[in-house]
Parts: sequence; C-alpha cells; structure tokens
Amino acid sequence: MNWLRIISAVSLALLVIPVFLLLYEGFGPLREPVGYSLNVFRSIELTLISSAIAAVASVVLFTPLSYYFARNKNSIGETLSDIPASIPHPIIGVAILVLVSPLTPFGKFLISIGINFFDSVLGLIVALTIVSAPIYIKSMQPYFQSMNIAHENYALGLGASRFRTFMSVVIPNAGRGILSASLISMSRAMSEFGSISIVAYYVLQQPFYGISPAPVLIYQYYTYYGLGAAVTASAVMILVSIAMMIVLRVVKRYPHEI
Amino acid sequence: MKRERQLIEAEVKKKLGSFYLEADVSDEDFICLTGKNGSGKTTLLNLVGGVLTPDEGCIKLNSKEITNLPIERRGVSIVTPDSYIPHLDVDRHLIWGAKIRGLTVESDYVAEVKSSLGIGFDGKVSKLSLGMRERVSLATSLISRPELILVDEALSNIDNHRDFIDAFKSLATKAKVDVIFTTQYSADSSQASHHYQLESGKSTRLF
Repeated sequence: MNWLRIISAVSLALLVIPVFLLLYEGFGPLREPVGYSLNVFRSIELTLISSAIAAVASVVLFTPLSYYFARNKNSIGETLSDIPASIPHPIIGVAILVLVSPLTPFGKFLISIGINFFDSVLGLIVALTIVSAPIYIKSMQPYFQSMNIAHENYALGLGASRFRTFMSVVIPNAGRGILSASLISMSRAMSEFGSISIVAYYVLQQPFYGISPAPVLIYQYYTYYGLGAAVTASAVMILVSIAMMIVLRVVKRYPHEI
Repeated sequence: MKRERQLIEAEVKKKLGSFYLEADVSDEDFICLTGKNGSGKTTLLNLVGGVLTPDEGCIKLNSKEITNLPIERRGVSIVTPDSYIPHLDVDRHLIWGAKIRGLTVESDYVAEVKSSLGIGFDGKVSKLSLGMRERVSLATSLISRPELILVDEALSNIDNHRDFIDAFKSLATKAKVDVIFTTQYSADSSQASHHYQLESGKSTRLF
C-alpha cells in the first residue's frame, strides 16, 4: 500500500501547501498592516455572523427536506436541490437581484413593505443560505439514512403522527448530525464570493455600514493595495477557518456527548 | 376474558425480490408465529403493521379494514429489538405512547407492569442492554393500549423469556390487547392461544 500512501501524501500536499504558504507569507515576508486592520476584523465579524445565521436558516428550513430525501426516493427533487451548488454562483446573485427587483410581483411586494436585499445584511444572509443549503442537505441526508427507521416505526405504531415522530424522535437523536452539517454549511458560506459580490459587495446598514464580507474584502485589497495586503488578510481569515475546522473535528470525535 | 369476535384477519400476498409470501392468519388473543430465518415472519408482521403494503389481499382488525391505513392510524404497535426511543429515560419511555394516545395512565398500573415485566432499572433507554430495552419497549406498547401488538423476535433476548412471555400474556389479556409474536423456538408456541407456522412464505395454522 506504499504507492497509495505516496499518492495520498502528494494529493494532501497539493491542498495544504498553498494554505500554509499563505500563512507563512501573510504573517512573514508579505505582511502588510492594512491586512490586519480594524476593517479586516469587522469584515470577518460580518462574515462569521452572516454565515452562522445562514447555517441556522439552513437547519430550520432544510432539515425536513433532507429527512424527506433520506426516507423517500426522489431523484428529481434531489437534482433540483443541487442546482444552487452546481451553477456558477454569480448567477445566484443575479437571480436574487431579479427576484427582489420591481420586475417581479414578489419584488414589488418586498419593496412595498420596505424590505431591501441589495447591499443589506438580509440580502447577504439570503445569498449565503441559498449557496450553502445544498451542502447542508447533502450532509444531513446520509445522517438521517443511517438512523434506524425502527425507532420511527415504533413511534408511529404507538400512535404518533409523522410530524410528532419527526420532532420528538428524529430531531432529538439527530443533534450531532445537525451540528456537524450546519458547521460544514457555515464553512461553505464563509468562503462564498460569487453571489455576495453581486448582492452585497458591501453592506449599507448599521452596525456594519460600509463593511464588505471577508472574501470580497480580500479581493478589494488585492485590486487596491496589491498582493501583500490580500495575502495578510487571507492569512487572518485562514486562521478563523482553521478554528472552525478544529471545532468540527471535535464535534465529530465526541458523537455521544451531543 | 375472551372476546366474542375474531380480532385479526390477514389474508395477504407480497413479492419481495424472489421471495413470495402468501399468508392467511385469522385469530385472536396471543398468537405465535414460528418459522426458520427467511420464512416470511417479519414480512408478514410488517404487512400487518403497515410498514409494507400487500400486493394483494386485505387486513382487518376487529372487522375494520386497515390494509391501506398508515402505521400511525392502525392501532397496531410493532416491537422489534430496535424498537425504542433512544433519548428517553425508562419512566418517560413507558408512558410516551399512552401520552401520545391521550390516555390517562394510573401510576399503580405502570408500577404493576414494571413489576410483572421485571423493569427494576432506570436510565437512558439507549444505554440499556438489549434484553432490558426489549422489556421497556414491550411495556411501553402495552401501556399505550393499542388493539394489537406485533412482537418480532423481541422476546428471545430476554432472560427467562418463557416466564416473561407468561407475564406479558397475562398483562395483555387483562388490557384486552391481542398479540402476534414471532419466535424461532417452536416450544414457545405452547404458551400461545394459537400457533401458525411459516415455511417459504406459506402459512399453516397448527392450532
């Protein structure tokens, strides 16, 4: 199996070398103070908060759908749910803008009640939810499939409705899966650029007025200040992402505590 | 106390891959179903319990057709070795089904069931041994008062299972709940009111 070990090591190196190179360069030779300015930390704060809310939205809105896919064969539905993850993400941004524009009745309604998606935290969260929800659904589906259906049949046989069984039997025993899938979904949301660069290039709402999400800010720094600032800001963002991954590993390692 | 009726009537056909089940069970009280592995015992119970739908035939419970009713509306509780609600502790588990059905459960009755079925332990159900879990699952089903309890190999793992079957039968008769239980041990049929044998998907009534 040595050949497999060698190929695996090379594959892993391909993935991690650019990341560690960025950390080294960002905090070493290419370090630029603007890369760890207050603006960068506010930007990371916005990204963390909006991604966390998007992950919670995925849990609330898409847990029933992933359970449905786990218990019912529905290849058309599963394919449809994959679409947001499989098309170029700027298209998602454009689609959101069209949906909430005065061109559609839904957009007219939102405008009439004063809800604005463009350059707003709400628009940012909606875009992040749409692009990360397919990851959440795909993570939860095998988890639900691995859960013993005998528990559910037993609850149903005791007279519990499908809804009661889902809420009282399935969900209380899916805590670890939900936490793990939502962290994966949050990680995906944190790295989103395509859709949010169209919907929320920056946010024009307090308390984040004028702040861009971190991936957009890193792109801005690259175009305005050059490589050094972008690499330093990237290195800071990578540290946050690594912290997220450590939390995810801990969650997966201690399955019975949740 | 015998009822003046035939509670369970199941005349069903079901094809699963190359296996073909053709069973006819019409009886009441405490019914034993024996047969080798793969003879169709679980398939028959799944058809009666609503987990599977028959290709042909019909299932009646107390003269009411339940063939196409969903599991939760049949009044039939299925108990397998994996039938339990993992996150509940024993006492909450025991009354869970009764609460779902909106029944008032006397604590004396719960105590009687616990004592008769040897449930002198506590803790989270998922942490219990298989035999202890099966005692709790069967007691929970009984306390929830369904019309019929289907026990699929959930008696075999219990210590002194023949004594347990006697106790369970006594409680079920008192609660007017009928039971169909499967077992690989033909000797267990001596404790039943009726005995059916399944062989390669065909049922035969022995008594």
